[in-house]
Amino acid sequence: MADVLAEGYNVFDTKKSPSGTVKYLSSPADVITLIQSGKLQEHILLVRGGTTTFLAPALSMGAIGVITMSGAPESHLGILSREFQTPCVMTAYLTSSDSRYSVGATPESHFVEIAEQLDGKKVRLDCTDDEVGRIVALD
Amino acid sequence: MTTTDGKRATYKQRYEPGDDGLRFQDLTYTGNFVGLEPVTDGIKGDKMLKERAQSGVLEKVSKEDVLKDQFTIPELNDLNNYLAWNIWDVLVMRATEGVSGMIPRQEYEILAFMHEFYRWPEILRMTTNEVGAQGLLDIGASARREIGTKINSVHDWCIGAVGFGMGRCGLLALEVIGPDDYVAESNEILKFMQRILWGKRQDGYILNSQDRYRCQIHEDDFLQQLVAQVEPLEADSPKHHAFTQFNAATELLAFLHHYDNRLGLGDTGPYELPDGNLLILRDLFVNEEIYHWSDVSADAKLPYSYTLAMIIDPEQMGLQEIRVNDISTTFTRPKNYVQAIIGGAVFAREKWDTPMGEVYPIKIDDLAEHLGRVQQATLKLYTKTSKMCRRDLIWNGQYVYYIDMILPHLRKAGTYEKACVDYDLWEIDQRVANYYYDITKRGFAQETVPSKIFSGAGYLPFSDKADLRSSKGRVL
Repeated sequence: MADVLAEGYNVFDTKKSPSGTVKYLSSPADVITLIQSGKLQEHILLVRGGTTTFLAPALSMGAIGVITMSGAPESHLGILSREFQTPCVMTAYLTSSDSRYSVGATPESHFVEIAEQLDGKKVRLDCTDDEVGRIVALD
Repeated sequence: MTTTDGKRATYKQRYEPGDDGLRFQDLTYTGNFVGLEPVTDGIKGDKMLKERAQSGVLEKVSKEDVLKDQFTIPELNDLNNYLAWNIWDVLVMRATEGVSGMIPRQEYEILAFMHEFYRWPEILRMTTNEVGAQGLLDIGASARREIGTKINSVHDWCIGAVGFGMGRCGLLALEVIGPDDYVAESNEILKFMQRILWGKRQDGYILNSQDRYRCQIHEDDFLQQLVAQVEPLEADSPKHHAFTQFNAATELLAFLHHYDNRLGLGDTGPYELPDGNLLILRDLFVNEEIYHWSDVSADAKLPYSYTLAMIIDPEQMGLQEIRVNDISTTFTRPKNYVQAIIGGAVFAREKWDTPMGEVYPIKIDDLAEHLGRVQQATLKLYTKTSKMCRRDLIWNGQYVYYIDMILPHLRKAGTYEKACVDYDLWEIDQRVANYYYDITKRGFAQETVPSKIFSGAGYLPFSDKADLRSSKGRVL
């Protein structure tokens, strides 16, 4: 069985199963740099929030997959991922950790741990389930 | 197709009187109903709120009711409870999205909520005085024969749900008003909302959630003109891809243009067509001239709005429920409706007041050129926004809420200029300017207010002692 590194809300069910290296984006400058690198489609994008403006140009230019650390399919990024048909797993948590996101009560260490564990990993998104999206290790 | 292969559509069962709808979330709502059975989301939740109402204001109401000058205290409390639940119903899951990393949305939202509650009443009263109560019904009704109009679910809902509901809730949480303050102003806001929405729907209800999440406002002959332009779309074909990509990219720009909120989009429907398929109409506003950052859209020669007509095959996706909610957004079960789009058409409206006769269709084969301009505007606006300081982002966002939510109604009434000149619409009230420094203390914007607003705990009722004539008698 494949190693599931993290799970979260599946925004929409799809047989698309994009794979790539996780790229953690922490600022708008990171997003612009990635777009300008021409390597957008080599990466699964990892972001902290579930809002859509932060990732706007990446979505518009053809991001292949998204992981967020907060938000739900009803969040703006969830809505836009559905419209773009870009597989997206939201409020992802590490299967190896007990730490979970809670609105207004999540320590910084929660986000740091996820970013450190996933950034740079080669993964595949499994979004075939109605509710749960999975981040599967490829290494 | 996706995992829905082989499932039959059952969504019509949702429209049977005894049906309670599906649950879209596991959470439940309490609000002011402490000690009673928790309220669910969806159709069942709407039924529970209607059963608990003290007045008839949540049922179908007559034109005579709507033309009355004011609500009674029980009616105000029923509307307060219903809007609080409705806000929870549409936003509780969205509100888990955390910080933007780009735009400080929680901060601008709370400032706008409170600003609206303070400033809108006299402007809405002036507008009512200018056009009369019937005039407000007519403004609502104008949406029945227009596309590319912001007189739509989200704007109309925001008048009451945001300006009254969230604004009053935020000020109560900040402890600068009490539950029985500003009763007359609350009435002014809610009456304005009721008249616009009643005039638009014309079925006695005001909100989509009261009608099992349907917003079927357009006249049949008007719809036929739009449907006549629809082109068939085969799954996985280049045309299907062109249409759905244009929808997504333009919706994204509409979000960015409106500072990551839903004022840039507006769905109506679902309209059942004679062949059993469903039509959703989606307005996407990408060039609102009142914003100084609309220069990027003007440079890209984008119209005020694009409207997409989307034909969905409910059998292909095994549709179980479809909701066009009161913030103008469509959600379905199963969630992925995009692959079940089997036809589409696109229209453009150059300016907000372009006559309907001059709205023009765009062939799907010609969308690529428009898509390029939408992407160009998106990248430019993103770059521009990323260079703005926090204060500018917050006040820009505040204006998007505080101005845009009533902009279409004032424009249609012909009172927007008067509101700007005589009522200083674009000025910031001193009280709200000072709150700018308070909202970041003790997690007020990012924790206290969201918890009060999205849990329903902050919508305190008016008491038995409340006086319909009351404003605020003292600041102590």
